[in-house]
This record gives sequence, C-alpha cells and structure tokens, in this order.
Amino acid sequence: MPGLELVASGLVGGLLLGGMLALIALGLSIALGVMRLVNLAHGELLVGGAYLGYFLTQATGIDPFAGLGVVAVAMAVIALPLHRLLVAPLAGQGMEAPMMTMFGVSIVLQNLYLLAFRADTRAIDTPYAGRPLQWGPITVPLTYLIGFVVSVVAVAAVHLLVSRTAFGRDLRAASADPVAAATLGVDVGRVHALTFSLGAACAAMGGVLVGTAFSFTPNTGATWLLVSFAVVVLGGIGNVFGTLVAGLTLGVLQSAGALVLGDGYRDLVGLVLFLLALAFRPQGIVAATAR
Amino acid sequence: MTSPVGQPLLEAAGLVKRYGGVVATDEVSLQVQRGEVLGIIGPNGAGKSTLIGLLGGALKADAGTVQFDGADVTQLPAAERARRGIGRTYQIPRPFLGMTVRENLLAARYSLHPFARKADALAACDAVLARTGLADAADLPARTLPLLRRKRLEVARALALDPKLLLLDEVGAGLVDAEVTELITLIRSLRGQVQGIVIIEHVLRVVRECCERLLVINFGRQFAEGRTGDVLASDDVAAVYLGTAGASGSPPQREVAAPMPVAAQALAPALAPLLELKGVHAGYGQARVLEGIDLAVLPGQTVAVLGTNGAGKTTLAQVLSGAIRPSVGQILIDGQAVTGWPPHRIAALGLAQCMEGRRIFAPLSVEENLQLAARRVPPAELAERLERVYTLFPDLKQRRRNAGTSMSGGQQQMLAIGRALMARPRLIVFDEISLGLAPVVMDRLYEALAALKRAGMTMLVVEQDVERALNIADQVHVMEHGRIALSGNAAAVRDDPRLRHLYIGKAD
Amino acid sequence: MSDYALELGFRLLLLISLAEAWNLLAGYGGLVSLGTASFFGVGAYALVGLANQLGVPPALAVPVAGLAAAALAALMSRPLFRLRGLYFTVGTLALAEALRLFMINNTAFGGATGLFLAGDAPSLQSLFLMALALLAVTTLVMALATRSRFSILLRAVRDDEDAAAQIGVRAFRIKLLALVVASWLTGMAGALQALKLGAVEPYGTFGVQWTVAVLSIVVIGGQGLRAGPVLGAVFLVALSELLADWPALHLALNGLILIVVIRFAPQGLAGLPSALAQRRGRR
Repeated sequence: MPGLELVASGLVGGLLLGGMLALIALGLSIALGVMRLVNLAHGELLVGGAYLGYFLTQATGIDPFAGLGVVAVAMAVIALPLHRLLVAPLAGQGMEAPMMTMFGVSIVLQNLYLLAFRADTRAIDTPYAGRPLQWGPITVPLTYLIGFVVSVVAVAAVHLLVSRTAFGRDLRAASADPVAAATLGVDVGRVHALTFSLGAACAAMGGVLVGTAFSFTPNTGATWLLVSFAVVVLGGIGNVFGTLVAGLTLGVLQSAGALVLGDGYRDLVGLVLFLLALAFRPQGIVAATAR
Repeated sequence: MTSPVGQPLLEAAGLVKRYGGVVATDEVSLQVQRGEVLGIIGPNGAGKSTLIGLLGGALKADAGTVQFDGADVTQLPAAERARRGIGRTYQIPRPFLGMTVRENLLAARYSLHPFARKADALAACDAVLARTGLADAADLPARTLPLLRRKRLEVARALALDPKLLLLDEVGAGLVDAEVTELITLIRSLRGQVQGIVIIEHVLRVVRECCERLLVINFGRQFAEGRTGDVLASDDVAAVYLGTAGASGSPPQREVAAPMPVAAQALAPALAPLLELKGVHAGYGQARVLEGIDLAVLPGQTVAVLGTNGAGKTTLAQVLSGAIRPSVGQILIDGQAVTGWPPHRIAALGLAQCMEGRRIFAPLSVEENLQLAARRVPPAELAERLERVYTLFPDLKQRRRNAGTSMSGGQQQMLAIGRALMARPRLIVFDEISLGLAPVVMDRLYEALAALKRAGMTMLVVEQDVERALNIADQVHVMEHGRIALSGNAAAVRDDPRLRHLYIGKAD
Repeated sequence: MSDYALELGFRLLLLISLAEAWNLLAGYGGLVSLGTASFFGVGAYALVGLANQLGVPPALAVPVAGLAAAALAALMSRPLFRLRGLYFTVGTLALAEALRLFMINNTAFGGATGLFLAGDAPSLQSLFLMALALLAVTTLVMALATRSRFSILLRAVRDDEDAAAQIGVRAFRIKLLALVVASWLTGMAGALQALKLGAVEPYGTFGVQWTVAVLSIVVIGGQGLRAGPVLGAVFLVALSELLADWPALHLALNGLILIVVIRFAPQGLAGLPSALAQRRGRR
C-alpha cells in the first residue's frame, strides 16, 4: 500500500478530477434528459473543444482558462446547424435513428481530426502546467484545482439557468411532457436546439479542461463518452446537481481504484461502476429534487 | 345462474394503487365466482383500468392481495398470471403490429405450449379465430386491421391462452349498435369455455345483457355492488353517470350562469366566429376518429361538446390544440386558417387549453407551472396575473412552492385552469375537467367557470358530466362515433329524449 | 482463386455473418447492441487459449471459442436485460469498452501486446472455407430463428414486451436465447479472425471498428431485409478497398454515408427500389 501522502494526494486529486468529470458529463446529461438524445458524438465534441482551446492558445497566447468562454460560444454556434441538419429532421422517429446518426457523426469527426491534425498527442500548455500545489501531505497539480473551480462554477451556472430562468422552465417542461408544453406555447423544437447547443458548449469546455489537465488525440473521445455515461447514469439523467455529486463520487472511486490496482485500471473502475449502476439503479444514486 | 361451489375463482382484497398525490385505487375488494360474469362500471377516470391492471398483473399494488384459483398471485408478474390462466385485453388494443393475425395468437399458444405440434397449435388458433369472427383476416398483418377488428384480435389473443378467467377492458367502446349485439353474442358464447369473466365497460347495454352482478367504481372506491338489474335501476348510479347533484345532494342550481339571452343568440350570426371547424376529419394512423365535424364558437359564447367514451371528444380537443393534424378540413381562428399549425403557434394566437388528464409538469412547482404559461410577459404584469389566479384558487397560493403533481386531483385541475388563464387567452378549451373528481370539487371548479363566463370569456367545454355542461353552456353538441349527432341550445338539448338514449342506451 | 480474392472473400463472409447475427438481435429482437466487439474479442482470445493451452484443432476450436462468447452473454444477460431500449444499447457499449480496457491492463492475457497463436496458421484456402462454413451455419441459424415458433415469440417481445408478458411470454428467456445465439455466431467470427491473423491484441479484437462495420453494413444495406447484409457488406468492402490507402478518409466517408442513409434512405440499399417507387408514386 502506498504511503499516506500518495493516498491523500490521490484521493484529493480524484475529487478535483471528479469536479471536472461533472462538467464533462453535463452536456450529455441534459441532452439525454431533455431531448432523449443519446449523443454518441459527445466525446468528439469534447475533443473538438480541446482542439479549439489548443489552437486558440497557440494563436493568441491567451490562457486556456481565460479563453474558455470563447471556446464555449464557438462550439455552441457550430452545434446549432449540426442539430438543425442532422437531429431535428429525425424528430418523432424514436430514439434509435438520432442515436445512430450521432454515432456516424462521431466517426466522421474522429477521422476529420485525424486528417486535419494527425494522430499526434497534444496537450494545452500553460506556464504553470507542471506546478504542483502543496497543502500538508497533499500534492495536486495546480491545473487540477483550477479545472475543479471552473467546473463547479460552470455546473452551478447551468443549474441556475435550468432552475431559475424562464428558459429553464421551458426546458424542464419540454423534457417532462413535450406535447403539453407545446400546447402551452413552448416552442419545443427551439428548446431542443438550444439544449443541444448548450450541451455541446459544456462538452467543449470539458475538452479544454481535459486538454490542460491531461492530453488528447483524435481518438480519446470514446473513453470520455463512456465515463460521461457513467456519471450521467449515477447522477440521474437530466439532474444537474446529481451530475455534480456523481462526478465527485466517481472521481474519488476511480482514484481509489487506481491506487489499489494500478493507474491503468482507473478507467476500468469507472466502467465497472457504470455497469453496476445500470444494472441495479438505473435511475441514479441521487434522488431527483422537487418531487 | 350457477351457484358458486367452493372458493371464488378470483378474490381481491383491499387493493390500493397510488400515483404521486392521486389514489387511483382505494381499498377495492371483489370476488368472482366460478361460472360468473362480473361487470365493473363507473365514470371515466374512476380507476377501472387501473383495477384491471392490478388484477392482471401489469401493475403492482401498493397494498392488498389477489387470490386466483386458490393461490396467492399478488407477487406474480403478468406473464406468470397469464400462464396460470388469466387472460386480459387492453382498452386500447395492443396487437403485435409486425405480425399477422394468426401469428398474434400463435404467440400466446407457443408461450404456453412451447413444444406443441405445429398442426395442433394452428388448429387451436384457427378455432379461436373462427369463434371471434377473424377467420378471413388470419394472414393479414395486424397493422392493417381497423380499430374494431383489433378489438376482436385482443379478445382472440387472450382466448388463445385457454384462460380460466377473462378480463375484458372496455371492448365495447366505439362500436355501433349492430356490432355491440355481435359482441354480446360472443361474450355469451364464451361462458362455457372460461370459468369466469370480468367485464369493465362503459357501454351499459353490454353489462346489462351479459353480467349477473355489477360493481360500481367511483374515484377509485367501491360505490355500489349488487345484481345487475338493481344497480342499473338505482338513481344514485344514474347520477354518477349523467351528472352529479350538487354536493349538498339537492338538485344543482339551474341558473349558475345564465346562458346568453335568446335575443343575443339571434344576433350571434352577425358576429364572426372566434373559432371555427369546417368539415374536419381526423384520426390516429389507421383509425379514423372524427368524420366531418362542423363547429363554431362565437365570441363570449360557451359551447359544450358531449358524448360517451369513444365518441371522439378528446380527438377533437387534440385537433384544436394542434397535436393532431386533420386529414381533411379546416380550422379557423378569427377567420385565419390555422390547420396544421404547430401547437405553440396556435397557443400564441390566444387559444388556451386545459388538457385531459391535466398534464401538470411534475418537475416544476405550482408557481412555475403558472409562470410558464405566461409567455414573454413583463414581471409586473406576470405578478398581477398570478395574483388573479391565486385569488380565484386560494388553494394554489398555499402550495405555490410545492411540486405541481403533489396535490390532489382537484387541486391539479385548478392549476390546469389557472395555467390556461395565465396566458390571457381569448378562448379556453376545457377537456374533461371533471374526470375522477368529487362533486364538492366539481362545484368549485364550475363556479370558477361561471365567473369566467360572466367576465365574457369564450369557452369550449368538452365534458362527460352532462348536467354541469348543460348548466353552463349556451350551445351544445353531442357526439357519437366521431360525428355530431345532436345540436342545439342548452335548453333544447336538455329536453331532447335522444340525449339520454345516447348515454344510457334506452329512451325513458 | 487468387490470394487477393480469397482475402476479400474471407472478409466479406465474416462481415456478412456478423451482420446477420446483429440483425437477429436488433432487427428481430429489438435489441440494438453496440457491443459486437465484446463477443468478437472473447471468441478471438478463447481460440488462442484453446489452441495454445489445450492444442485443440481449429475446426473444433472455433465453435468452442464461440461458446465462450455465448457464456459471456449468458453471464451478462441479467444486468443487461434489466435495461430497456437505449440503456441496453449504452450498456453493451460500456461492456465492450470495459473488456478492452481489462485486456489491455491484464498481463495474464498478454496485456497491450496480446498473444500469438502457437503452431502453423491454416492456409488461406482453408480459412476461406471455414468462413464459408460459418456463413452457412449462420444462414441456417437465421432461417431457423426467423421461421420457427421462436421467431414468433421473439417478435412479440420486440413489438410490445408488456403485451407479450400479458399473454404469458417470459420475455427474459426469449431475449436470452437470442443473445446467446447471436453472441455464439459473433464469437466464432472472432475466432476465425484470430486464426487468420495468427495473433490477438486488445485494440484490434475488442476495438470499436467491428461494431462500426456491422452497424454500417446493416444500416446501409437495409435492416430486416434478407438481401440487406449482403448488399451492405459488399458495399463496405468495396469502399474500403477503394480507399485502402487513405484509412482516415475511408472511415470518415463511412460515417458520412451512415448519416445520409439514416436520414434519406432509412430502408437502406436493399429497400431503395421500393422507396424510390414510393417517391415516384407520390409525384
């Protein structure tokens, strides 16, 4: 068993990672909850955000965390026509066709990235990239902490959007009962488009965090997709607060698994937990609020 | 009538089923003796289908037990109960659309006798098909069957199980007189083949001619029980169907809301209609429900649409909201054609709807449900509208922060009406707001409607409770089989003998 | 037949078998699986294990390796079938990924480098014949499955699981049987691939490219139609040969065609004639 410092640092690092996992998974959760869309291209949207952040930093020298807003907006803007062209026309045809379409999109994007940027592993550099943060026995990379803070703020912002604004009301109503919502005047098609956009923007922001904390290639989307699913199912589909709790939980558990079994098992632990959650409690471990 | 020997075939005790704040089944107990045909009747929304679901195993009871043929089956799922001999049909037929009629029956046959010889299985299925009048359709895909034949298929499929007990869920709905006669003949012929039948029905003629005993359900509870003749002759039961007396038991106030004076009605044609339907035909997929509906609502008028279950009232409401597109015909609001418009645009024109089943948004609080309905309204105006709704329905103000569906059925209906009002509509469609509600609650709701009427609101009331609708309406249309069978002003329709015939099935 | 033709033929036969097995699950059973790779991979690794550790000859090892895949399916059936619809689909995807990660990290099975097949690899000729045999078995199984009473029960579960339960169908057992059969066929295909390559490693055998290939074939070729998998497989192999030098472009194009077909020709190539006839009829 590793020493106290390693364990403590590992667990705290896991907690911070978990916060980032929440943001990474958020886009998938709201798309699924509101539109019943299984966005199998979620991982590629994330990686797309990473590339956007990478090139933005390279071109302008701006700090990737500072440029987060730009990346989010850019992805949101790209996502709108994507939804309009590919997802909206399939409305009313069940869940399978849009899911398979997004599967196709993920393949297209992966290989577009490969063609455009080659298979090189990239990471978004910051001047403080390597700098560790020390607090007693605990040592974590500074980027983890910043990523954590950014994630929690972003998730909180989305939570406020969904629970306090008029758009959030429309969104929740459209997800609960789209027919009734339309009868009451909600433009459900527009809600779906904006939700998709929001989801893509969250994924892109998550991608920037992944780019700074780790590294990415055109193919790393798949792993993040599945980890996101794990968080979404554990937290309860469409439940923003639940996504945060589930992310933190999963982050800690994954790090614990890595400590005990070895770092290569980190992702596997996540997946096994996912399968267990699916089997025994598909509605999530966090009870939905307002019931 | 055979006298019961030994234990009952089916015995349910203290069944309870809850959905959120609503108790769909409230301590229901019943017995079916061997050789008996039991009927279960009650108004729409009374909880009849929930009861069948509890007996057949599709629903798990929150409390209570079910004993079948001497064994406790309470914990058994539907498939196991079917294997023990309970056959059940669905109110809205659910055939296996991708398979032929014969294959639908074979599925039942093979599930019970997986190793039967093919010839035997086919022979058994063909026999059932002949008995249920589907022999000529044996090779047709179930998808192509019209609604009525699908009902036959429902029964045939349940029969293919060789069941001991048959649960028939509203097979009679939507059938014309001649077809009801055929159905009754079929049910009677089944008596020798199964040990017991439970018929849930809205078409009273079926229960009158097939059932020995009747159980009346209202608001999920047992209301009355006894021999068929006695139950149907009871005034209490008639009241449950035709409209409730006021909560105090005395006849309801006739002039709760004075209908438009005759003179004004004569002038009415000069006013352009606010809402108009011209020659509207509509339906779902294969099934054609509405056949040529012509309807007009003038500004300030209250129009009621009546009709029994299956007459097409709800389809009409869905056409109005835009949820269903008419295949033929036009819908006009203020003379503007809105046929085929998406629902949110129709709402924007000022048509608000209280949908059947209320459709309150569970993830939203009471206040959020209300706020949602006021589209793009500045905060001051929004607050004012909220206050007005809260004044009309103080219950809602008390519970403004609670989840929308945590309240009782009556309060949820108030919320639905409040939602409609928040949009400051020009016309409100009320779709069966009295479903499953107690008379006291209905009194309050209709008082609110009367207040709206006095204020000049234009209303279309689709209603099951005939008395209340007649009290508030100026113009009345009674639907049957997707057409308007009877029209006129409220007073004329009330006195028309055809009205009672359309509901109870025999002229007095 | 030339070596090239044998190679191409082998690939084609394998892909058609995989597509048919997937179709049994998804088209007839309504169970859309994205986990083809799991059973494919298990079959491949099992074959290497059987051949290396136990010296089982290929002709016997292939069907037995398939059984290993079927055993995995049976094991995972209880958790998987608690999931309906999209949860099931995502669950199968997670299973495949979990297995891949497990294999990468687990040195007992060769870790990231994988394992080599001991002994001589069979000739291309015999591999081709084995693939042909697999297709024959698959076709036979499909014929049985789609014309028997099992087919009726399976389609009932697919069309309306609750109504099927109401007439006594034990949906779990029916779905289990379909899954076990489909995974047996898929596992055998994986075993054949292992035989051909003479080696197995996690990325190639448990990778998502097999799932993508099967999905593409069925969607592009046409789901539920007999000619579908064949048309789809031919199309796919032709495309991959044409763009053999540009793998990324090939895959990207593959994905694009998938999207376009879903949107504009949901019946696939096999359904194109009737779809076009319908369109012309409308005008």
